[in-house]
Amino acid sequence: MSTRTLPRLLQSPAVLLLLVWMLVPLGMTLYFSFIRYVLNSLRRPEWTKPSLSNWRGFGNYEFVMNSKDFWFAIQNSLFIVCSILFATVILGILIAILINKAFPGQGIVRVLLISPFFVMPAVNAVLWINMILDPVLGLNGLAVAGINDLIANLQNAPLVGGFFSLWPEFEPISFRATQTSAYAVIMMVTWQWTPFAVLIFMTSLQSEDQQQKEAAVLDGAGVWSQFRFLTLPHLGRPIAIVVMIQAIFHLSLYAEIEIVSRGNGNKNLPYLIGEFANNNIGAASATGIFAVILANIVAIFLLRMVGKTLME
Amino acid sequence: MGRIVLDKVSKKFGDVEVIPPLDLTIEDGEFAVFVGPSGCGKSTLLRLIAGLEEVTSGDVIIDEEVATQVPPSKRGLAMVFQSYALYPHMSVRKNIAFPLRMAKVDAAEQERRIDAAAKALNLTDYLDRRPGQLSGGQRQRVAIGRAIVRDPSAFLFDEPLSNLDAALRVGMRLEISEMHERLQTTMIYVTHDQIEAMTMADKIVVLQAGVIEQVGSPLELYNTPCNRFVAGFIGSPTMNFLEGDEAAKLGAHSIGVRPEHVAISTTDGAWKATVGVAEHLGSDTFLYVHPTDGGEAMTVRVDGEFSARHGDTVYLTPKAEKIHRFDAVGLRIT
Repeated sequence: MSTRTLPRLLQSPAVLLLLVWMLVPLGMTLYFSFIRYVLNSLRRPEWTKPSLSNWRGFGNYEFVMNSKDFWFAIQNSLFIVCSILFATVILGILIAILINKAFPGQGIVRVLLISPFFVMPAVNAVLWINMILDPVLGLNGLAVAGINDLIANLQNAPLVGGFFSLWPEFEPISFRATQTSAYAVIMMVTWQWTPFAVLIFMTSLQSEDQQQKEAAVLDGAGVWSQFRFLTLPHLGRPIAIVVMIQAIFHLSLYAEIEIVSRGNGNKNLPYLIGEFANNNIGAASATGIFAVILANIVAIFLLRMVGKTLME
Repeated sequence: MGRIVLDKVSKKFGDVEVIPPLDLTIEDGEFAVFVGPSGCGKSTLLRLIAGLEEVTSGDVIIDEEVATQVPPSKRGLAMVFQSYALYPHMSVRKNIAFPLRMAKVDAAEQERRIDAAAKALNLTDYLDRRPGQLSGGQRQRVAIGRAIVRDPSAFLFDEPLSNLDAALRVGMRLEISEMHERLQTTMIYVTHDQIEAMTMADKIVVLQAGVIEQVGSPLELYNTPCNRFVAGFIGSPTMNFLEGDEAAKLGAHSIGVRPEHVAISTTDGAWKATVGVAEHLGSDTFLYVHPTDGGEAMTVRVDGEFSARHGDTVYLTPKAEKIHRFDAVGLRIT
């Protein structure tokens, strides 16, 4: 036996297991996406069993692309992911820089900052939608009610009363509504994932070369120039990592969308798959394949970006 | 112009006084070297001049103006760091251009000054590379280039050569000396290496524990060290010190004699000794000898032709006029 065969042979069980692990689900999804397969049909009971005789070709794909929610779901998936990425990266950089300098209680502040990351997504969604964003009982409702009360009281006050009586009564925003539920999801996921960004950026900031900063100070660079020309390039790689990891996670958001509005006005691809999977496994599988394609496009786009930063 | 005066400058970190109040004047165009063992406060002193550390008391005066409250960038000084502190994400050209860009110098002028600096430092072929792609010596040159383009009133060097290998160090030493001759700008250079101090300086400032032990030209320090510390620090190999009877004979607490000021003979002399290790450098040989009366081991510098083997008996005679005498607290007796 040559020296190269034995290592190959020893590796093969792991490689085979991984292949089976990935290929079997992918193969089954592909297979289901090309046949008529439903969980329950009184009219056509033969469709409830997966079988090649129910072959539908690209029919499922056509059906999915023509369904009213599909393009909206893709658009909404990208909107949610990009908004969260944008917010977490900017907040992450700002907070990381803020807590990078030594101050009393730094340890506690850091632990508190990280803690949102340990909350389960479903719990996070329930807390936000009921306790903060609820238009009656949440902070949102209470704050708006408080402002309205204050204005009502000021209207009776001398001198300024006339001015305040011109003010309208404020309405709390309902975040379960069709138009706003995506914003609710973006807010809660941003709250949960900003600590992740902070953590990565903070470690990176601590490895920043202090002599470079001193050299920049002597070269006449102000605080902004130091940030722009030293800190930001230094953070390039961590930013790429945060964007990449988060993009992959947030393309598959589900719990938050379910809890906020049950997909009302706010679907993404995983949620659409879930809806189809209530009965139409064929359509759900086809949507799944579209999700794989979308994830790959996003991943290739992001890998390019990461690669570019590494090259610099 | 670049006359720098330290007026009773002191520095405390918390309760620890690193530099007790000290006075020092560095004349315009002078090459001053701060030298001393590690932890003696020489780098701190340089950072105080640069403005990277705030003085606890006293004043830094640059060109007759009190600069104590002036921010580092407005002091007109350029600093070269031990780690080079190049900006890793920028090309060599952009690194050198950075101070000009911060000072909003127009593009044509920037281009002109960068080219001049690159030519002077042999960096023209490397302008578009990044610091990571350069060797240590080249990086050091880029750091110097970044300092030169600003046309500063003084250059500050913080152990700039300690990250280079021995051969490069000698080369860069010459280049920096050459640059000083050409520019005639004040330079303050911090090092722990007394050879760098001796070879480059117009004026050496020997520091120990934040206190200036002696200020003088290299030869002044070599010929008339004012105390035992300076005597031992300057010169290589270090001076031999003798205490006890030999010193008492000359009316001193201790006497010092440099290895090159001891005559050696195989037949007769003042002190009898046994040869220990012999280091052959070719031109010279350093002999580490042990006096037979049991005194401290001594170093003797002899001609490369002199042959002595381990265990040989030799006789040593110090040159009387080259003996340095010190009192009980280590001060020089004149």
